Amino acid sequence: MTKMSDRLKIVFMLCLAFVTTGGQHFESKVAQLLQDETEDIKCFVELKDLTCFWEEEEERNNLQYTFTYSYENKNKMACVVSSLSLLASNKTVFFCKLPKTPFFTTLDVQVFRDGRMLYSRSLNAENYLFLDPPRNLTVLSSGKEGQLNVSWLPPLLKYMDDSMIYEVRYAVEGSNMGKVEVIKVSTMLVLLGLQSDTRYKVWVRVKPDGVAYKGYWSAWTEPVLGVTQPSDLDPLIMVLVLFIGLILCLLSMTVILSHHKFLLKKLWPDIPTPEHKFPGLFTVCKGDFKEWMSQNNSSMWGRSVQVYTEELPSPLEVLSEVSLTSHGTSQREERKPVEEDEEKESERSDSGLTDRWREPPQAHWLMEQLRALQENPQSLSQSLLVQSHDTYVTLNQNSQGDGEREVDDVFEETLPLQTLFTTTGTTSLSTSHSDLGSLQQSSGSGRLSSQSSFEYPNQTWPPKGPGYTYMAVADSGVSMDYSPMSSSRITELGRHRMYTNDYKNEIFLHKWPLFGEHNKSGSESCMGPVW
Amino acid sequence: MQTFTGLVSVLLVFLWLGGNLVSPLRPICDLRVLDHFVREARDSEVIMRGCRGGCGAMKSYFVPLTSVDFAVLEHMDVNGQAVEVQTGLSLLDQALSNAMKTVSNSPLANALDNNISNIHSLGQILHSLDLQARSTVLPDDSAPASTQTQEVSSLPELLQVQSSFLRGKVRLLLSAAPACQRQNS
Repeated sequence: MTKMSDRLKIVFMLCLAFVTTGGQHFESKVAQLLQDETEDIKCFVELKDLTCFWEEEEERNNLQYTFTYSYENKNKMACVVSSLSLLASNKTVFFCKLPKTPFFTTLDVQVFRDGRMLYSRSLNAENYLFLDPPRNLTVLSSGKEGQLNVSWLPPLLKYMDDSMIYEVRYAVEGSNMGKVEVIKVSTMLVLLGLQSDTRYKVWVRVKPDGVAYKGYWSAWTEPVLGVTQPSDLDPLIMVLVLFIGLILCLLSMTVILSHHKFLLKKLWPDIPTPEHKFPGLFTVCKGDFKEWMSQNNSSMWGRSVQVYTEELPSPLEVLSEVSLTSHGTSQREERKPVEEDEEKESERSDSGLTDRWREPPQAHWLMEQLRALQENPQSLSQSLLVQSHDTYVTLNQNSQGDGEREVDDVFEETLPLQTLFTTTGTTSLSTSHSDLGSLQQSSGSGRLSSQSSFEYPNQTWPPKGPGYTYMAVADSGVSMDYSPMSSSRITELGRHRMYTNDYKNEIFLHKWPLFGEHNKSGSESCMGPVW
Repeated sequence: MQTFTGLVSVLLVFLWLGGNLVSPLRPICDLRVLDHFVREARDSEVIMRGCRGGCGAMKSYFVPLTSVDFAVLEHMDVNGQAVEVQTGLSLLDQALSNAMKTVSNSPLANALDNNISNIHSLGQILHSLDLQARSTVLPDDSAPASTQTQEVSSLPELLQVQSSFLRGKVRLLLSAAPACQRQNS
């Protein structure tokens, strides 16, 4: 007895389990057909059993209904009506599941309520298959780039597994754009053309192919994630790229090494220093030229003279005389007391400024100037520093003995030029002004008005340090216009102006290595007022 | 004496050949052939639905039963199924031929003719699968309706029966044919 009861219990539990497993999908199928199917009485086949159901809005008892079916002119058979409450939509459904469903024949189904026929339908059961979703959906990387292997198990239906059609839907994880692939009979598919190293979601559903059996699309499976392989570079291409890269590197290295000096010069130009010309000036005397000069004797002089004689001539700026008497005094007020000596200093001609100088007088004159400076050590320290980058060139018709000749030369741009060396680069601009003031005035007709010659000081100079005296001279050339002197001079000076503009920077930079610190911009700024 | 034995041997050879009316065919296991026939049977139904005039007279036809119970089918042997199918095909062949005589609509007549030739082809297929019933004697119209037959009263019903029969019993038999099972395994 206990054995029997136990067996019954087991059977009951199994039946319950069987029913519940069917019920999971059953309810969802019913819900879906309620929405999609237009017939009053809706039927579908699940696991070879036909189920027909209908919806009832009013409160009814299932016992009120009578369900009958018949086929092939046989007698009507009855079916037990059950009720189901759909939780999702809160609806009540009455259904009947045929115990033995005949396929490939016309079924006549009828529903009666209280003796009256409610619904009637004729259908072939094989046309309304509603399958469960495929099971065991697996998505694996296929080992190739941009591919995924998708596989699943077919529905558990004997005799029907060769009549199935599947739909595979896949999309990038997180994206709503999906693609669909249709595949017949086979339960395996290789997805192609995918992005590499990307996560994909895959769904599958199934339907009868419509030849022997027809039906509804099953529900989609739960999505399964798959990752495509990261793109790997073809090893041959990698090797080739590396090889070519190596060759290019070697070539570039060879080029660089063979021209390293040239490249270095271009990228990191040497700042020319006059150190090699003035041994010990920077190392021993710490830049103190006075001290250095005192240390060195005539050998140094000769060398420096030689330096100057090596200078290539630069265009000569011809200027009129500068009358410095009145303004020279006014300027003195501005000047430092030390500079007073400078005024009295004889100018030294700058061989580098002119290309029309005759060398012998130039050298002779230079020597004289140097001797003069040597007698006055104070001024020397200020005026003879080679590294000073100011060079004022003045015309002094009366300063030289051969003034007459030189006057003519002026017009031909061959007048001897007097140069004043300013103090060191650290001097203020006022110093340069004072130097201007020290311009000797010629007594000739080409005299610069003292006013005009000192227009310079009134103008703002850049604090970089005095520019080229050349420039100063050029400016004073402008003031020349005001003088009522000969127009020919003006025109010539105009020419000079042109020259100053053109030659200025280049010459001083190229021909004056000693004066490498000359401020180019200073000269440019000087040019400003000229124009 | 020698000529006599020679003649006998020749006769024996002929008899042996005569025993096998048709040379053994390669088994046709591809069900797509049957699917093609099924589609053409469905086309006949469609043409029938659209036929206006000359669509055959109201006549009763004896047709096979088409219903399939899968539970029963599992327990049925293949030979039993083969007999059922063969009989049914014969019935359909006869019925369709009778129906075609009353049809004047040319598309419908062509469709029916197509169906008849398909049924003959199915016979060949069954033969290739070694499933053809030995007895090929067709029952005539006057034969009583066996338990395996049913009566229909119109051509549309006949066509529907044909379609169901092909999709159901014939297909299940072909898919269960041992010759094809051996090939698959």
